[in-house]
Amino acid sequence: MKKLKNLFLVLITLLALNVRAQDQTQAEKLSEVNDKVNGLLERVATDEADLQKLAKIKVSGYIQAQYQNFETPTLLSKSQNYFSLRRVRVKFTYEAADGVKFVLQPDFAPGNLSLKDAYVVVNEHWKKTFSLWAGKFNRPNYEVEYSSSQRELTERSLVIRTLYPGERAIGAKLEYNPLTVPIHFQLAVLNGADGIAINNNAGVNINAADNIDYDNSKDIMARVTYNLPLGSFGGLDFGAHGYFGSLKSMATTTYSSDYSTVKTANIGDKIGKNWIGGEFQLFADVLGGLSVKGEYIAGKNASIGYASTTAIPLGVANFQNNFAGYYLYLIKNLGKKNQFAFRYDYYDPNTDISGKDIMNPSNVKGYAATANLAKKMSSKSDLATSTFGFAFHHYFDDNIRITACYEIVQNEKVGTTAGVSNYTENYTQNDGQVVLKGLDYSKVVPQNVFTLRVQAKF
Amino acid sequence: MKKLNVLKSAIIAVLLGVVCFAFTAAPERITVKGSDTLVILAQKWAEVYMKTNTGVSIQVTGGGSGVGISALINGATDIANASRKMKNTEKDKLKARYNTLGVEVACAKDGITIYLNAASKVKELSIAQLGKIFRGEITNWKEVGGDDQSIKLYGRENSSGTYVFFQENVVQGDYASSCQTLPGTAAVVNAVKKDTYGIGYGGAAYAEGIAICKVKKDDNSPAFAATAETIKTGQYPITRYLYMYLRNRPAGEMKKYIDWILSAEGQKLVVDMGYFPVK
Repeated sequence: MKKLKNLFLVLITLLALNVRAQDQTQAEKLSEVNDKVNGLLERVATDEADLQKLAKIKVSGYIQAQYQNFETPTLLSKSQNYFSLRRVRVKFTYEAADGVKFVLQPDFAPGNLSLKDAYVVVNEHWKKTFSLWAGKFNRPNYEVEYSSSQRELTERSLVIRTLYPGERAIGAKLEYNPLTVPIHFQLAVLNGADGIAINNNAGVNINAADNIDYDNSKDIMARVTYNLPLGSFGGLDFGAHGYFGSLKSMATTTYSSDYSTVKTANIGDKIGKNWIGGEFQLFADVLGGLSVKGEYIAGKNASIGYASTTAIPLGVANFQNNFAGYYLYLIKNLGKKNQFAFRYDYYDPNTDISGKDIMNPSNVKGYAATANLAKKMSSKSDLATSTFGFAFHHYFDDNIRITACYEIVQNEKVGTTAGVSNYTENYTQNDGQVVLKGLDYSKVVPQNVFTLRVQAKF
Repeated sequence: MKKLNVLKSAIIAVLLGVVCFAFTAAPERITVKGSDTLVILAQKWAEVYMKTNTGVSIQVTGGGSGVGISALINGATDIANASRKMKNTEKDKLKARYNTLGVEVACAKDGITIYLNAASKVKELSIAQLGKIFRGEITNWKEVGGDDQSIKLYGRENSSGTYVFFQENVVQGDYASSCQTLPGTAAVVNAVKKDTYGIGYGGAAYAEGIAICKVKKDDNSPAFAATAETIKTGQYPITRYLYMYLRNRPAGEMKKYIDWILSAEGQKLVVDMGYFPVK
């Protein structure tokens, strides 16, 4: 009996030891699992931190593929209708910290790989009203800053395309956007020669690599806009912008806009280019959404000639032309999926010369009407152009927009009165045959364009 | 040539006239998308309204204020719910796409509530302390009267209007990188419920099973909890309106629905669901 009791005690002891050992094993396992969970949590935290860094990079972009038919009889070596990729853009935005943003936007259009935007924006932290931009960015103007992916007509107005070639410029910009007043102010200091061709006497564009400035003078651009709410009717945005700059003279003479004076210039002189413009955008919540937008710009532009090193050919004078241009849009939404847009735009590159005076020898006031000089006196480049544009957009879904656009382009006509030569040009047909005096600027020269465009945006 | 110009002008005038007077009838199916703070109230409104207006279908989803406003801009929803005001950049997109400035309807008020775990010793915090906590400058509860334990931050994703409002009005800087972002207010409440040393923020209507932290405007001000009274009087310092945004002035069924939401019946549901009425 005693033996049995001892055996029982031994068994109980062994069992207790076993249970304790099992408890210890379970505690170890629990500790191991706990360590693993903690390890996983640490990894998740690290991954989340990495993910947050990646979330600071935003990638967007759009592609515009289009078919165009040009009614002009001559497009030199190009065909009159073709498919093309107008835009192939990817935009990278990196928000390095609160208020600091980097933007990089290349355009991958075939044969035209270029850097469109490359800038940094720093917002001040205290009032959150000022921001400083540096790099290559859109010039401060309504139509320039209005993205091509949103624009209601397929191209910007002629006056804007002429004044701001390529839209972007390299420089620095200060923006002021107070939180309590709906005013928006931009002041930019720019190199000023971006996208402008300045040929030397060999016909080579010396401003082709426009990463650095062509001269020492910097151009100033300012724009101010105000958003006026109009209650339940909608709102009116209005404002003004101005451009104040110059280009360095490469010629020894400068023609005035009306060709009545020739000023002597030194190489290196500043040839001024200054203009101002007024703009408005009226948004009306009537019949599903309608807007009317317009802008008028006038001033003096400049182009740079060159001094000849030989007597023949003669050099080309600098030219300062008084110009005026405007555009007017009417845009109407047709439900959620469709939109109609109409635009009339007008650009007169020389307000001091009317069509009837183009190539008119009597307009040459006191100058020797040598053949070369007379040809420089006036030309088709002084003719005004007006364009009626109609566009219909269908938004297939969030990302895809299909656009049909027709633009009726009309040139100012040269005079046909007695004693005035009509202004004509030869052109070459697709088959290579030269049509003498085929383009007659005493009539409307066919320049209408039809565009069918598909835009994919992401 | 002159006749042709007259004909062209007439065609242009007729075309413009037809286009200008074209408009779309208001839909009988209304889609609502946006703020997660508002979603339970919006669902309740839709549910009750559809019971008495059987011909109307109202579909409500969340996703966050930013998601709702983006959907409004790209035409994917008729109403965007938002717990913050529409940004200027969003208004510009609406202008560009629809040529309107949008219509803002304030439909309820909310106090952004600070959620603490039920076991937390901390009962009140000032706006400045909350800012420091969520910026990661205060990292231990003992610095604000609690245990000597690390503070665990829970917040919303950056598409949330609450995230933006809280950042602009309380955090006033970057959120701490340690702040765990969660996909909805309910998730924030659940996380704080389970974490003794957690703190989160969100709409008052979601505050169940957690402790509500009283908030002081500054160190010298008394602390208030978000209640109908303190929100109405403006004593609770983190108060905001909740909005519905539309592309155009409402018409037809949409107008009837909006009018009903702002009526006594609609605003009673606001209170029933734990929010605060606009009037």
